[in-house]
Amino acid sequence: MRILTLAVKDWKQIFRDWKTGLFLIVMPMIFTVFFGVVLGGAFSSAGEGDPRLPVAVIQRDPGSGLTDGLEASPAVRPVVLEVDQLEDLQDGVERGEYAAGLVVPEGYQEGLVESHPVRLTIVVKPGSPPGQTAQTALETAANRYRGAVQAARLSAEAYQAGPGFEDQADRKAYLREGIDRALTAWDDPPLTTASQLAVGMADLDSQDGELDGFVQASSGMIVQFAIFGLINSAMVLVLERKNRTLGRLLTTPISRGEVIGGHLLAMFSVVLLQITILVLFGQFVFGVDYLRDPLAVLVMTFSLAFWSASLGMLISAVSEGEDQVVTLSLIAMFVFASLGGAWFPLEVAGETFSRIGHLTPTAWAIDGFQNIILRGQGMESIFLPVLILLGSGAVFFGLSVWRFRVE
Amino acid sequence: MKWLMIATKDVKHAFSSVFSLVMSLGAPLLITGLLFFAFGSMDEGQGGVNFTPVDVLVVNLDTGAEHLEGFRAGEMLDSFLMGEDLEEVMKFTAGVSEQDARRGVESGEADLAVIIPENFTSAALTPGESASVVIYQDPALTVMPGILESLLQHFMDGFSGAKIAAGVTEQQFDARGFSADQELLRRVSQEYAGWLESSSHEREGQGGGPLVLEPSGEQQGGEGAVSGMIGPTMAGMTVFFLFFMAANSSQTIIKEDEEGTLARLFTTPTPRAVILVGKFLGVFLILIVQAVLLLASSRFLFGISWGNPGSVILTAAGNVLLAAGFGILLMSLIRSTRQTGPVLGGVLTVTGMLGGLFTTGIPDLPEFLDQARLIVPQGWAMQAWEVSLAGADPAAAAAGFLKMAALGAVMFAAGAVIFNRRFA
Repeated sequence: MRILTLAVKDWKQIFRDWKTGLFLIVMPMIFTVFFGVVLGGAFSSAGEGDPRLPVAVIQRDPGSGLTDGLEASPAVRPVVLEVDQLEDLQDGVERGEYAAGLVVPEGYQEGLVESHPVRLTIVVKPGSPPGQTAQTALETAANRYRGAVQAARLSAEAYQAGPGFEDQADRKAYLREGIDRALTAWDDPPLTTASQLAVGMADLDSQDGELDGFVQASSGMIVQFAIFGLINSAMVLVLERKNRTLGRLLTTPISRGEVIGGHLLAMFSVVLLQITILVLFGQFVFGVDYLRDPLAVLVMTFSLAFWSASLGMLISAVSEGEDQVVTLSLIAMFVFASLGGAWFPLEVAGETFSRIGHLTPTAWAIDGFQNIILRGQGMESIFLPVLILLGSGAVFFGLSVWRFRVE
Repeated sequence: MKWLMIATKDVKHAFSSVFSLVMSLGAPLLITGLLFFAFGSMDEGQGGVNFTPVDVLVVNLDTGAEHLEGFRAGEMLDSFLMGEDLEEVMKFTAGVSEQDARRGVESGEADLAVIIPENFTSAALTPGESASVVIYQDPALTVMPGILESLLQHFMDGFSGAKIAAGVTEQQFDARGFSADQELLRRVSQEYAGWLESSSHEREGQGGGPLVLEPSGEQQGGEGAVSGMIGPTMAGMTVFFLFFMAANSSQTIIKEDEEGTLARLFTTPTPRAVILVGKFLGVFLILIVQAVLLLASSRFLFGISWGNPGSVILTAAGNVLLAAGFGILLMSLIRSTRQTGPVLGGVLTVTGMLGGLFTTGIPDLPEFLDQARLIVPQGWAMQAWEVSLAGADPAAAAAGFLKMAALGAVMFAAGAVIFNRRFA
């Protein structure tokens, strides 16, 4: 009972301050909305209007149908600029307004037909993932266009060797028609790819089964702010030590273990409440499908809350003042959140970073949540994440008990 | 000279606090360093992007074409994937069955599976027939499925093109009342394949073949992709933590007021204006030291080229003036140190978000965010740093400096008036 009494006291102390609500709930919500919107463009094809990547095109060869071919591309949509807007095209690509730029030179089609090809220019921002995607799409479109011209040429050569053309104009008309037919055929090529998502029992209707911005942002921010939220809770213990309340407390019949237990319980329940609110926020505001397996999500929530509270206990055990609590909490948040993949999927980081990231419990926490909400898996898929969270939490707790001091 | 003594005392105090050191220097360098570490591999090789490799299971169900001496296009695709030098991106393994491959992806043993259908060869050769190669993917993957799809499409377009060439020939002969025999159509397909092969060799020999690749902008004077990303990221962190330190340092005026040390200072013969000038100067000096240390250390640690030295000085000076003005105005509006936490945490974070400080490395941002950033002063500072990072000369950077200095001066004046009234 004493543990509970102490925890309730901490609760009152924490929630008496209106700032607690700001840092525990409002800020993570703002971050989730912000990064959900921002990451939506970077990692998902979902979105309003045309979701394809915009590509600026300067068409200096009016006869070329390459731009029309781009209209059919599933990956990019052409934005046609005036022929003298090369600088705008380059600036736009640099600023990220366009994923890439394409300059179709004068006489491009004629050059292909007459076997004196003129080279296309593709402008991309080095290292930009949409730029890479757009570049590949432009190369595919350009190769198909060249293929269409080549198909028409081969057809014309065969016709010339057989029935033969009446004159040069007839040959040109035949070539033009051949190019049009080939381009039409490329709209529906005989060999294609079809993507299927391994979503298990996930609700495809609610989120299309893709890693959209809100799935990444919601799970990432839950993990990040579970650490950030420790500041207030850890501060209570440090202040008690600083103003010697902790020492006075131990002169009463309460034991050292009960004091530690009471504070841990307070931190655990605060983080648990915070995660629960953020899970419900993700579910009901953004349709992130946490409730498809409530029990599994509950187990993950408890495990993450225990890990986070243990980390908070360790921070409060080693901190000598309020400044140190804030500093250590922020450092823990930056390191665990970024390495764990709370800011971006670890897949897009380098291999070493990704491997090191998976040494952190936060990466496993995000994996655990995503196994449920994205991969449509159940309890069996969170066994390892839960084990890692509880195990590392126990280590943090052990260290905090070892370092715990009343003065 | 008393104002200088007051300012110096504040600077010493700021840089002797672990919290201030972490928040002024440690945090921006730590965050940028983590991102540098995460994406540092982009600079390996020749500016190519290097991701965490994924495991891909390939299941070939293609039954081939009996009438063409057992020709199997699926085997060619299989060999193409296994033979591609993609070990740093994808590790291909032959799968036993479609069911096992799907189960492998679902259980996390593999990230992706490629399933080549039974009628792959038939669709590649028979008019009117089509086939789809299935990519079965872990839904948490964002980039790799697209790369794999491009790779498959590249291979399959060869077959599709040859088939289309034969189809076009047949259609055009038909349209003119002639008939193209199967031998002619096969020859057209073969010639198309030959052309494709020779143009691939031509591309390898010519470095790009029919395409010229041009990088946009000056990109850090031609340095690698990561420098192009880390520069703006560090600029964003620099702006955020300059604004943070400006507000945090201005907070000392309120703190000293609460603790009574300011009142004691006012009882000395030093005029109040001199004391406040000293406090304000302290904020400027702290930010100057912070900016210099951040710019120099990030240059040393991450190799960031901040641009033309004249432009860098102008931009940094403008940023310091703007941040100091903002910090002083912000703190002049709050009544006690109890309010500083939410103001430092909340207001600076939200304005920093709007100013685009946390999204510098994220591509394809929604348009409204790009437009909204100039609502807040952080957006102006970020814009000025982008100009400097792009290698602009001092004349071009001067416009940014003037805007920041003017805005900073207005905010500083407003904050100083409010503080003056408060302590009058």
